Amino acid sequence: MEDKTALRARDFWTSLILIATSAFFLWQTTDIPLFDTQTGGVTSGDWYNSAAVVPYGIFGLMLLCALGLLAISIKDGGAERALRGAGIGWERAELIRMGCIAIILFFYIFALVPRVDFTICSALLISALIYGFHGGHHRRMIVAASVFSAAGLYAFLLHFPQSEWAKPHDDDWVTLALWVGLTIYTLVYHRDEYAIRIAPIMAVLVPLVLVLAMAFGFRQNVPNRSGLLFKQIEYHYYVTLKPLWAQK
Amino acid sequence: MEFFIHQITEFGTALTNLALDPITYPYLICSVFLGIVFGALPGLTATLAVTILTGFFGNKFPLEQSLIALIGAYVGAIYGGSYPSILLNIPGTAASAATAMDGNPLAKKGRGGEALGMTTTASFIGTLIGTLFLLVFVWLLLMISKNIASPEKALLALFGILLSGTLMSKDLVLKGWISGLIGLAMAMVGLDPILSETRYVFGWSYLMSGFQVVPVLMGAFAVPQIMDGMRAAGSIGQKVDVGRIVPKVGTVMKRFPTIARSGVIGTGVGALPGVGEDVAGWVSYGVGKAVCKDGKDFGTGSVNGLLSAEAANNAAIGGALIPLLVLGIPGSPPAAALLGALKINNVIPGPTIDPGLIVHVVAILVMASLTMAIMGLLTARVFINVLRIPQTIFLPVVMVLTTIGSFSVGGGINDLYLMLAVGFVAYAMNKMDYPIAPLVIGVILGPLFDETFRRSLYLSDGDLSTFWTRPGAAILLSLNIALVLSQMPFIKRAFSRLVPGRG
Repeated sequence: MEDKTALRARDFWTSLILIATSAFFLWQTTDIPLFDTQTGGVTSGDWYNSAAVVPYGIFGLMLLCALGLLAISIKDGGAERALRGAGIGWERAELIRMGCIAIILFFYIFALVPRVDFTICSALLISALIYGFHGGHHRRMIVAASVFSAAGLYAFLLHFPQSEWAKPHDDDWVTLALWVGLTIYTLVYHRDEYAIRIAPIMAVLVPLVLVLAMAFGFRQNVPNRSGLLFKQIEYHYYVTLKPLWAQK
Repeated sequence: MEFFIHQITEFGTALTNLALDPITYPYLICSVFLGIVFGALPGLTATLAVTILTGFFGNKFPLEQSLIALIGAYVGAIYGGSYPSILLNIPGTAASAATAMDGNPLAKKGRGGEALGMTTTASFIGTLIGTLFLLVFVWLLLMISKNIASPEKALLALFGILLSGTLMSKDLVLKGWISGLIGLAMAMVGLDPILSETRYVFGWSYLMSGFQVVPVLMGAFAVPQIMDGMRAAGSIGQKVDVGRIVPKVGTVMKRFPTIARSGVIGTGVGALPGVGEDVAGWVSYGVGKAVCKDGKDFGTGSVNGLLSAEAANNAAIGGALIPLLVLGIPGSPPAAALLGALKINNVIPGPTIDPGLIVHVVAILVMASLTMAIMGLLTARVFINVLRIPQTIFLPVVMVLTTIGSFSVGGGINDLYLMLAVGFVAYAMNKMDYPIAPLVIGVILGPLFDETFRRSLYLSDGDLSTFWTRPGAAILLSLNIALVLSQMPFIKRAFSRLVPGRG
């Protein structure tokens, strides 16, 4: 029963967000012509041909559903609980766990993958996630998130513009140093854990094999081709290795 | 009869070609193995297996070969979910949740090997039943679908989203519908399909082409799994000895009626737009409990209970491919990922689909189920050992796979931003008991609904009666209305008064 009320408290806030979102997008939909539609430069006044018809329906229905959800949450005591300050039923431990993962994933995708060599940043990701979350210890989660954030913030703040994503490699070196530091620390203090012992091997092999397979096997684009390691690999693939079998 | 013989002949040719092509086997063995591993590891799902492989194979290999990998992983993963269900009482996938009801009690009684062997056999036969229905009904429906016009297509797309939202909701049905509406709203972003009017791009040129299917799939299915699974999780810990796995022929024959009935139910449920293998497993389990002589023993280690769930969830694969191939409407979340793969290869499922492709899909299903059965019976101990890998070790690898797979599909770094944003939203929705499958189905069917709904209005000069004057459209409209009304509290109350003992 307590869980249900906590869920309804979350529903209360969600319904308010949905109402605001629906209202915002209904307002945005007014920018799409409804009665003065143009097709190939020819104006027509047919509402049913407008690109706004379906969006009006969708956001209108979403608004109705959100109002329904709000009514249910109020009726079931969710609003009272949400406003009373008793919280929405999330435990502190879960918030720390979820927050740390969200921070790591955010910096990985938004800061490191575009700017740092894929093998290096993925190695740090694998090591940080295994060390931080394997045992479920909060201190480890925070350490892992802090190390990852340090690498992410460095790349994000010092090389924010897209023009700087490829050129300088200082962020690659910083990420590499942090990975080496984290790996040594975990091996020194937690060597007795199997997961910690295999983490460095997985951290290097998985992204390296994937990048090589994608770039030279599947012939696909890979993130940050000018990264510290990949640039060298690509250079030696075309300059050193390929001539060897091309001469045959 | 002539039609049936023609179908079997075509299928025989496709199967022979596939079996004689040496390239088939590396794809099939690797993908089925990977699928079983994904299914067996709690926290990884069949949808995730197909989605990740879509990123890798989607537009990089000939479609015929990509389909072997994707369908192989699909069949393997639905079956693989039974391992942790039986041995750990933790469903590896949602599809195998009903399997745990009787599988785990059997394992506790020391009959784990028998349960795994019977599960493998039932999954194999179930897949074949689904495939047989796919082979026959897809053509019948294709003939009918040639008469389906825009109003019917729009209403069918709406029905798929509504049905998925209704059946997938764990809490309020309203949440399933909201999830579907969010998916539909996401599909509205970009240039509209008829007038090329820009909608909700906010000056970002990347959004002009709309939300890409693969990053949305990866975000919706992979990121929440990774976020939720990264916790100290239980694994099997030590080696498990399950005894003899290969079942006796006599035992299989004795249980054949249960397997056949469940296969037919699974195919039927799987064919419903947007309803997945998990619903098929539960529906078949419920029917089995009602009709089997030992129905009262279901939940205490009944082999019939186990087979009811397992034959149905694998048969649902063939069923789920029927609406996918005939109408472009996925029958389940993994089928939605499969549709994503077809779309990035510029294959538009529907009445104009290449008939050769359908027969090829059927042949792949048969080969994949055979590979699954051989692997399941002969190498089950390998998969039992896979259960010992904690997900905290496996999931970081999945995150790296997801990232590079999503990046390489074509949209570059923006696809990754979209993937993570969708992932965070999907995680929050999961936490609040919103089903994610209707959102994805909404994103996939949104453009179809938008285009066909407006085309219907355009052709009828804005006359809304076009949605009920055509017989097909009238039936579909009635189904949509009935589905919504059936969830209204006052209708539910009225029905409960009519049913004796529930009033």
